[in-house]
Amino acid sequence: MRLEFNSETLIMSWLVMALIVAFGFLATRKLSFLPGGWQTMGEIMVGTFQGLVADALDERNRKYFPLVITVFLFIWLSNMLGVIPGLSEPTRDLNTPLAYGVLGFFIAHYAGIQTKGIKAYLSEYVQPMFFMAPLNIIGELSKVVSISFRLYGNIMGGSIIIMVVSDLVYSLVLPPALNAFFGLFVGTIQAFVFTMLTLVYISVQTK
Amino acid sequence: MAFSTETWVQAASFLGAGFSVGFGAIGAALGEGYAAGNASRAIGKNPAMGGAILKNMLIGQAVAESAGIFALVIAMLLVFMDVQGAPMIEAWSLLASGLAMGLSAIGSGAGGGFPAAEACLGIADNPPTQNALTTNMLIGSAVCQTPAIFGMVVAFMLMFMDWSAQPLWPGWAAVMGAGLSVGLAAIGSGVGSGMPAGAATGGMARQPGAATTIRTNMLIGSAVSQTPAIFGMVVAFMLMFVDWNGTPAWPTWASLLGAGLATGLSAIGPGIGNGFTAQEASAGIARVPEASSTVTTTMLIGQTVAQSTVIYGFLVSLILMFIPRGASETMVAWAAPLSAGICMGFGGIGPGVGEGLAAAYTVNRIARNYEGVGVLLTRVMLVGQAVSESTGIYALIVSLLLLFVI
Amino acid sequence: MAIEGADLVRAAALMGAGIAMGLGAIGPGVGEGFAAGKACEAIGRNPKEAGLLTRTMLVGQAVSESTGIYSLVVALLLIFVV
Repeated sequence: MRLEFNSETLIMSWLVMALIVAFGFLATRKLSFLPGGWQTMGEIMVGTFQGLVADALDERNRKYFPLVITVFLFIWLSNMLGVIPGLSEPTRDLNTPLAYGVLGFFIAHYAGIQTKGIKAYLSEYVQPMFFMAPLNIIGELSKVVSISFRLYGNIMGGSIIIMVVSDLVYSLVLPPALNAFFGLFVGTIQAFVFTMLTLVYISVQTK
Repeated sequence: MAFSTETWVQAASFLGAGFSVGFGAIGAALGEGYAAGNASRAIGKNPAMGGAILKNMLIGQAVAESAGIFALVIAMLLVFMDVQGAPMIEAWSLLASGLAMGLSAIGSGAGGGFPAAEACLGIADNPPTQNALTTNMLIGSAVCQTPAIFGMVVAFMLMFMDWSAQPLWPGWAAVMGAGLSVGLAAIGSGVGSGMPAGAATGGMARQPGAATTIRTNMLIGSAVSQTPAIFGMVVAFMLMFVDWNGTPAWPTWASLLGAGLATGLSAIGPGIGNGFTAQEASAGIARVPEASSTVTTTMLIGQTVAQSTVIYGFLVSLILMFIPRGASETMVAWAAPLSAGICMGFGGIGPGVGEGLAAAYTVNRIARNYEGVGVLLTRVMLVGQAVSESTGIYALIVSLLLLFVI
Repeated sequence: MAIEGADLVRAAALMGAGIAMGLGAIGPGVGEGFAAGKACEAIGRNPKEAGLLTRTMLVGQAVSESTGIYSLVVALLLIFVV
């Protein structure tokens, strides 16, 4: 069995991880009551996501907050890497979004089993009628497909469009403008959508 | 006319690209236009919130655009695809790929406009809720894109998988049927997922305290609305992955094409009908959050019954695919299965929408009076839905006649 | 009729371009029209805000146009580049 590695994706992923660790270090270096720049950014992020998590999950499951914010940070920074010339987004490779989708799926269902107990969890699959069971299973699996491919499609699509248009149109303005739109705007929105959907899937399983 | 295989494949890839972006542009533009119109209406109501509404509109439109972007990507890949050495069946799979993506983007694009529009209106009516509304709009809109994603997955498979193992006849019908099945089925489900997202977002503006309840119901309703698209995708997978070697070329091609059409078309109605039901459920829960469990239960019952015609379509597709037909070159031999597929396909649309409407109005009243008339209304709804089903059953009967008696 | 293979490919490319732009014009047409109509309705109710509403309408219509532009790009690609 051969193992193939997409070295570009791996290197970019490690770069994103390094950036996140660096940001975490800078934001917490000298925690003070009157925060400086990095700490303020960190506080804004933590505050926003804590609010979203508290809204969606009950007390017992708020432990998933670090997961949620990490998923957002990784995907958000990954999507933005493409804007820098010479770097490419790790999310451009289907493996990355798929990995996060599968991760979210297992965590959501694990949280569901933990919260509701295995009997209640299994009985959900035969709601509202018994023969709906295979459909419910396929529906759950399709959530993984949809969440991963949505992110992949948007980011990969963006970079294909940028590539093709840059090839065709000899312009100094259009490619950077497209880059900014797809990388920054769409990248941020899709990162947020992915994170919120993961959070929501966890909360639906634990209700 | 003896052209090289490569010529046909190249021609098909260009046509497929045209279909992909052509159909794909319809839905997204409709949804975004709807959002823009309602944003104007919202600003007219509350000019002070103009900036927030505009920002919200742009974000909502960007998510609704995703389906259009997927279609563009598939089109680009088709235009620039390298067709050296591709087998003839690849021509059909590329054409089918374009159709799969283009058709499935219609529903999701249009559906994505509803949550964006309601979010803008909600911000005008209730400015402090704007963050909650934007978040819910994003979630609802994103879930609404799922049928287009199913289409994209099938389109990718049709483009990139190696089809040389399938025989040209009836393999060409298998891949075309696959593309049509998922593409058509996603139209109804796309719109049907967007409607509850819109109603939920609008409801949240009126009843911010019940946000979680509303959102849960929205997700359940949307998920059930997407089941017809899942049926379409399952049939597409079956058509793509079953080995059709050994089946007689003629008339199996008609069976496979009919199988794709049967599920694909019949899924449109239930998708939209389920959307109506889920929309009224979300709106009802927003009005009366205490009624949520009764409303959700009734919604699920109504939606399940409304899906019967897509199940009939699925049944007809299974019969067409897996019950072998003898080799025969007569016109009747191919006309009968193809007609059966078309019959059940179109026949599923009307009852799907009608039963969905019946359930929608029922859910609406139950929300207003959940402790009183729930059981009575549900019973009448089921009777009404059953009567509405009748023409769908006639279509099923005619299909079965065409399949077994002719 | 002796048709070359290359002719068929060219013909298909042109057909694809037509389908792409033809179908692709439907959505933006309807969507932008709806946006314009609602904007006019809003201005009719609230004439003071005409400037803001017109601006919003144009922005919304521009975004709605984008898929039509995608179709145009693909159509031009098919006509001139392949």
